[in-house]
Amino acid sequence: MRKFVHRLSEDMPAWALRAFMLVFFVFLIAPIAIVVWMSFSAQSYIGFPIQSYSLRWFRRVVEYEPFLNSLIVSIKVAVLSTLFATAIGVPAALALARSRSKAADAIATFLVAPISMPLIVLGFALLFYLSTLGFGLSLLALLIAHSVVAVPYIVRTVIGVYRSQPADVEEAAMILGASRWQTFRYVTLPLVSPGIFAGALFAFLISLDNLPISFFFGSPETSTLPVILLSYTENQFDPSIAAVSTVQMLLALATLFVVDRIFGIRNIGAPT
Amino acid sequence: MTMTLASGKARRFWKTMTGRSSSGPTISLVWSLPAVFFMLAFFLFPLADNMIRSVGADGGWSFAPYKRLFFDPYYLEVLGVTLGFSFAVTLACLLVGYPVAYFMVRHAGRLYGLCIFFLVAPLLTSIIMRTFGWRVLLARQGFANAFMMEFGLIERPLNLLNGPVIALLATVQVLVPFMVLAITSSLQGVDRRLEESARLLGAGRASTFFRITAPLTLDGIGTGFILVFMLANGSFVTLLLLGGGSLQTFPLLIYQQINSTRDFVLAGAMSNVLLMSAVICLVIQARLLRRRGTKP
Repeated sequence: MRKFVHRLSEDMPAWALRAFMLVFFVFLIAPIAIVVWMSFSAQSYIGFPIQSYSLRWFRRVVEYEPFLNSLIVSIKVAVLSTLFATAIGVPAALALARSRSKAADAIATFLVAPISMPLIVLGFALLFYLSTLGFGLSLLALLIAHSVVAVPYIVRTVIGVYRSQPADVEEAAMILGASRWQTFRYVTLPLVSPGIFAGALFAFLISLDNLPISFFFGSPETSTLPVILLSYTENQFDPSIAAVSTVQMLLALATLFVVDRIFGIRNIGAPT
Repeated sequence: MTMTLASGKARRFWKTMTGRSSSGPTISLVWSLPAVFFMLAFFLFPLADNMIRSVGADGGWSFAPYKRLFFDPYYLEVLGVTLGFSFAVTLACLLVGYPVAYFMVRHAGRLYGLCIFFLVAPLLTSIIMRTFGWRVLLARQGFANAFMMEFGLIERPLNLLNGPVIALLATVQVLVPFMVLAITSSLQGVDRRLEESARLLGAGRASTFFRITAPLTLDGIGTGFILVFMLANGSFVTLLLLGGGSLQTFPLLIYQQINSTRDFVLAGAMSNVLLMSAVICLVIQARLLRRRGTKP
């Protein structure tokens, strides 16, 4: 008996820790789960208990023009800025990853720096800078701003993945007579492709949810979904926000699923 | 045998020829130029432009907006709230996140992957969705009130929304995964035998933790702390939608200046103060990383 009590007190922290974990994950998931649940409500107000269920709020997503239009703008901006950032970010990352020079280190730090900036600062600065340059509140301005945020994610993940690969494989290819281009195309590129896709995925998801930059460029043609949602939630409190958010979440999940299926994602969320 | 010898020779030959030690065929730094030019033009220059704009009024130098920010009691309080709120969020993330990271590395076993999934999954949802979720949970007809009334715990719905505590909770919910991930990565590097030795030598659970485990994970704590502090410093959505005007911070004021007041000079100065605080964090972070011997 005494032994049992002793063991129980020894195990106490483990049990306490387990209970704590449960509370923690409820805390993490509850605000999200409740929104998904709410989005299927048939009521015209937010309230519990939910009396009946329907898909009427999802229909509103399609019918209420600002939601649909801004969703399209969001996807357009996310796709284009990710593609552009990949196009300039990947060559830079590959050139910088294996170089030992101080300059390369400095450049890499510079390219990754925007990750650590408060985005609201960058958005504010870009708004005035781009309107001085004459871009104003255009889709192009929005694309440029989102690309600035996307480049660091791509550069960082590609550098990380490339550095973790041994250089021997590429050396072997070159010693065996592959040209520089062949080595790049058939050895280097396949080696780093998981990094490219993980980085692009990050950039895409972050652009899709970006608010602190997007809201500076808000005009009827350039409002992204988060901007529309913010102004909507500031004034109204009905389940349509729940439905739009659920759609956006499903979009992100689908992207993640597809990219994972095709390429497999290692390192996701791993801080470098 | 001869093959390995030959390949060894070839490799040595390759190394002498290129003057590099096993770093593979390097791609010329020229390839980084498009990205460098783009980031100079649209990252560095805008920030510099913003800085110059904030001090260069009408051809002369003027530090008036900064004088206001640092000497006007109202703005001084806002600065204090900005830093204080971020600090409180970061501290809460550390206190909540460390046990979680500890459980994941030491006790989760096969559940580790599942924990990572639940930790990263919220990052896929928009911050507005999560803020909205808190409102659905805590509103007058919200889930919490309905639940407590159903069980007779309360008679009338309580006003749970709109306060600094809820804004803090919601911000922690958004940022805590970053803290946990930073700590797990450093906790994984701790040699368990050190803890076991401490226990065998008679140290209790608590003293083993505080004298062995925690000091060994200081790097992870530092990285997580600075990351979360930086992110909290720039966040405004949760305070805007859940703070109910109880807390004013610089990001929130910038948002309001853009939306209604339109004092762009002051907003510019505020954004520069935020930028400075981010740069200070970056410098500290670079120090930490260098001490650990890893590159960014």
